[in-house]
Amino acid sequence: MQEKNKVTGTPVSRIDGILKVTGKAAYATDYPVKNIAYAVLFKSTIAAGTIRSIDTGPAEKSPGVLAVITHKNAPKLNVEGGIRGGALLQSPKIEFHGQHIGLVVAETYEQARYAARLVKVEYDQSKARVDFEKLSKEAALPKDKEKADAKRGDARAALQNAEFKVEAVYGTPIEHHHPLEPHSTIAEWQGDNVVLYNSSQIVNGAQNAAAATLNIKPENVRIVSPYIGGGFGSKGGQWANLVLTAVAAKAVNRPVKLALTRQQMVNSVGLRQQNHQKVSLAATKDGKLTALAHETTTHCAIENEFVEPCGDCSKIMYEVPNSLITYRVVPMNLILPTYTRGPGKSTGSFALESAMDELAHQLKMDPIELRLKNEPTRDPSNGKPWSSRTTVQCLQEGAKAFGWEKRKAEPRQNQQGNFLIGYGVACGTYPAHQRPSSARVTLNRKGNAITARVELAAADLGTGTHTILAQTAADALGLPLNQITVKLGDSDLPPAAGSVGSVGASSYANAVHDACVKLTDELIAKSGKQFFVRPTAAQLMVSENVADYQTRVDAKPPANADQYSSHSFNANFAEVRVDIATGMVRVTRFLAVTGAGKILNPKTARSQIIGGNVWGIGMALTEESVVDPRWGNFVTRSFGDYHVPANLDIGAMEAIFIREDDRASNALGVKGIGEVGIVGVAAAVANAVFNATGKRIRELPITPDKLL
Amino acid sequence: MRPFKFTTVSDISSATNSVAGKPNARFLAGGTNLLDLMKEDVERPEELIDITRLSLAQIKPLTDGVNKGGISIGALGKNTDAANHPLIRQNYPLLAQAILAGASGQIRNMATNGGNLLQRTRCPYFYDVAMPCNKREPGGQPGCGAREGINRMHAIFGWSEKCVAVHPSDMAVALAALDAVVKVRSASGPERIITLADFHRLPEDRPEIDTNLSPGELITAIELPKNRFAEKSYYLKVRDRSSYAFALISVAAALEMDGNRVVQARIALGGVAHKPWRALKAEQLLVGQEATEANFKRAAEVEMADAKPLEHNAFKVELGKRSIVRALQVALTGNRS
Ligand SMILES: Cc1cc2nc3c(=O)[nH]c(=O)nc-3n(C[C@H](O)[C@H](O)[C@H](O)COP(=O)(O)OP(=O)(O)OC[C@H]3O[C@@H](n4cnc5c(N)ncnc54)[C@H](O)[C@@H]3O)c2cc1C
Ligand code: SF4
Repeated sequence: MQEKNKVTGTPVSRIDGILKVTGKAAYATDYPVKNIAYAVLFKSTIAAGTIRSIDTGPAEKSPGVLAVITHKNAPKLNVEGGIRGGALLQSPKIEFHGQHIGLVVAETYEQARYAARLVKVEYDQSKARVDFEKLSKEAALPKDKEKADAKRGDARAALQNAEFKVEAVYGTPIEHHHPLEPHSTIAEWQGDNVVLYNSSQIVNGAQNAAAATLNIKPENVRIVSPYIGGGFGSKGGQWANLVLTAVAAKAVNRPVKLALTRQQMVNSVGLRQQNHQKVSLAATKDGKLTALAHETTTHCAIENEFVEPCGDCSKIMYEVPNSLITYRVVPMNLILPTYTRGPGKSTGSFALESAMDELAHQLKMDPIELRLKNEPTRDPSNGKPWSSRTTVQCLQEGAKAFGWEKRKAEPRQNQQGNFLIGYGVACGTYPAHQRPSSARVTLNRKGNAITARVELAAADLGTGTHTILAQTAADALGLPLNQITVKLGDSDLPPAAGSVGSVGASSYANAVHDACVKLTDELIAKSGKQFFVRPTAAQLMVSENVADYQTRVDAKPPANADQYSSHSFNANFAEVRVDIATGMVRVTRFLAVTGAGKILNPKTARSQIIGGNVWGIGMALTEESVVDPRWGNFVTRSFGDYHVPANLDIGAMEAIFIREDDRASNALGVKGIGEVGIVGVAAAVANAVFNATGKRIRELPITPDKLL
Repeated sequence: MRPFKFTTVSDISSATNSVAGKPNARFLAGGTNLLDLMKEDVERPEELIDITRLSLAQIKPLTDGVNKGGISIGALGKNTDAANHPLIRQNYPLLAQAILAGASGQIRNMATNGGNLLQRTRCPYFYDVAMPCNKREPGGQPGCGAREGINRMHAIFGWSEKCVAVHPSDMAVALAALDAVVKVRSASGPERIITLADFHRLPEDRPEIDTNLSPGELITAIELPKNRFAEKSYYLKVRDRSSYAFALISVAAALEMDGNRVVQARIALGGVAHKPWRALKAEQLLVGQEATEANFKRAAEVEMADAKPLEHNAFKVELGKRSIVRALQVALTGNRS
């Protein structure tokens, strides 16, 4: 990974690490804006109906209160402006439990929170559609054309005649992103312009959505979001809280801060929807797949549709002549689902890779062998060549490193005292794309000391984006790392792609690299000289006596990128220990082997991967947002009820990267690692639980009661 | 948060005097439960009496009285300090284990022993003021959100149609098994002693009342009698994640043996009722019997035979049986693996 004399590919620590651990990195609501007032949202206590009356009198009279805003006095906003999930206080209509119905602005946070409790609301309730188990029977074809039935061959016929087959339904519950930093915003108006300090995964997206919704021009909106305390998709699209902060600030003619509470997070910023996935596999007795059907049923919001692509992995993972991928969706009175780490792939791979394990068991075949037997040489969904594919290496190297040969082929054969031990494997994949991004690079020279500033409106979710871009620039300019400053997260900077869909590293690093190359080219041209050995920009600044130089590029993905099918791939290996009496499961060892192109920084990359793995273990064992099927409220509103894994749930974690040089994917050969780390994890754990106990759990999470 | 008055006191009598006759005043100890509930508008005290300066944090051996040879644990001592105290580790390891099975290191550093007993249920309907709850709003709209709602975490013993909540404390389960008593003081009258068995109550028609503590009473200490369980005891907590989760079921088990014969047994269950549940039937069945797996199973069956599960928590009956057997086995052999 590391080239000679290069800092790219080396495990440097985050350049913003010290700032963060000393509390000096300013997150959205840390900005020292003067004369600030505080807003607190209040929410509906029914899931469907209309507000009949709303009495804000007592709240308005409460000490410190500056304004109470509801649908009755909110300014007219453009509900089609790109804010997700509605709840913009434009009508008395209620579409889900906990929809924002107003906000209080006060001198202090405590005063606002207190006054919000004083608002009295009466509703005309209608019957809420909140019971997925019942409503899933009404699910119909999505409007989204991408979710139309995708057929190759005749899977149903092949299934009927199959010698060996698996047909099973896999259930995954609603999950919440729950980043450590809840969504938070400061809005400050200066005349017609508004600055929004806001935690955003897509800086320019937030700018455009805020502007369109507020009926102003994008140039009147500035988003400042240099640091983000996690997002996992929930800060990709923007939600009502962003715009309502601006509305509140306008109303009181002062800067306003609005931060969601943890309890408010469950119905303010999207969720990962509940899915029923029916997977059917047919195979010959020597393990060649003959049919694969992946049929997903899920829910979306009443007005808007979002369906995560659970069938995506099934489209491309295995060579199979007959394939069927379908989606059915039913609108429900719940907040709009949204992108959630590894959308569709994390949940879809649980179904597919569990089914593959079930098939291997039926065939009495090693699950790794079954996968190797069905390895496709081209993308089966479109016939394109892979830019590269590392599934085989991931499986083989992983098996060696993990000690797969110690796995007992039959379940429930490895007992140690009160515990059953099991091994599981599962594969995963996530698409690799580069998206258009601009970048500006500025060099300054004082004597022989040269510093560089790299600027773009990219987002660093806490994953190390600042660091990898500094590394990229250092190498491309011929400067040491500590001479590089990276400025991100400000819509005044050159526009960039969002940190979503695992496109961040490739889009940003290629843009920064291109800008540095362009800057060097320009300095060479400016010198008017011919060089035998290409000098670095740093050398040119000195030799040509340049004091300052700046350039900018608008980088685009390679023209031939869509001739290839480009993805990251992984193989996940889990060892679990299950308490025979109590059913408590612990993942004692976990290994993820990943092929994700060029790894810019093995240290931050490892953190990304094991972070994804940990969430995947949470998906497998602990995480579930539970809706009361009578009223549509979440009963899991705090970290006491919504169980993200604790330290003790996580055993030894290991991440291995496959070396690869995939220039067909993009110029630098950088693929994404943000999401692939969660894909396949839940299946690896569930498969290990089967190997340990002989119990196949098809409904996540695998809590102790399911293993009794 | 609602506005409230904040009063600091430095001795027991000013503490008890400060709350006398004020039904809406509350003592503030570690605040790890009370402040959370205030932020959620579940608890709405008009006045907080900060008792953290009272010198009630000591842990000391008892040299006289009925519990001579036992131990006194100050109400305002921190959970962490109780769990780590050498006398408790040595003589009451069951209690140390139970405390350490609860919450997290940070919370135990703040949480007090008295506050732990008085922490309120974690029923999610109780915590969400948008939901009906008889415990939170006894005079308001009647209804128990959990009775026909999501009640996987709820009671299988002793619940009423009014309330199916469980008491969340781990510490209290061990204390129940160890026959603890709670010492309380009030503005009027002498010191009162309440056995732990009678300290928490079943919901019946008054789910808003968690305990038999009278209004205005201050817990000063918890006392444990001397016992011979130190060698053979175990606290088993089954939960949805390995730490930092409330119990699905917990079992505090202690045995006093004569050879392979059980002389005395103590079993208390957590996560099953509105109070720590002493498994008296199981205990009685074991006394005088051989400590065999078959007898442990029989005891567990007998105890769980009375369970009345709700829609989502039937698993607790089987889990309870298995957990009782496992806890007794580990108590007996010391072998956890
Ligand atoms: C996230 C989280 C997880 C937790 N997990 C667990 C767990 O797994 N197991 C477990 O057992 N506990 C758990 N807890 C609960 C924790 O143990 C309690 O919050 C703590 O013990 C309460 O003690 P405190 O001193 O902070 O009480 P406070 O919050 O100060 O007080 C609680 C109540 O007791 C009253 N009070 C306090 N002291 C006295 C006194 N001396 N006399 C009379 N009244 C008094 C107060 O007025 C108040 O009503 C958890 C808590 C949290 C926040
Ligand atoms: S179980 Fe008790 S605490 Fe829970 S909702 Fe019912 S009355 Fe309230």
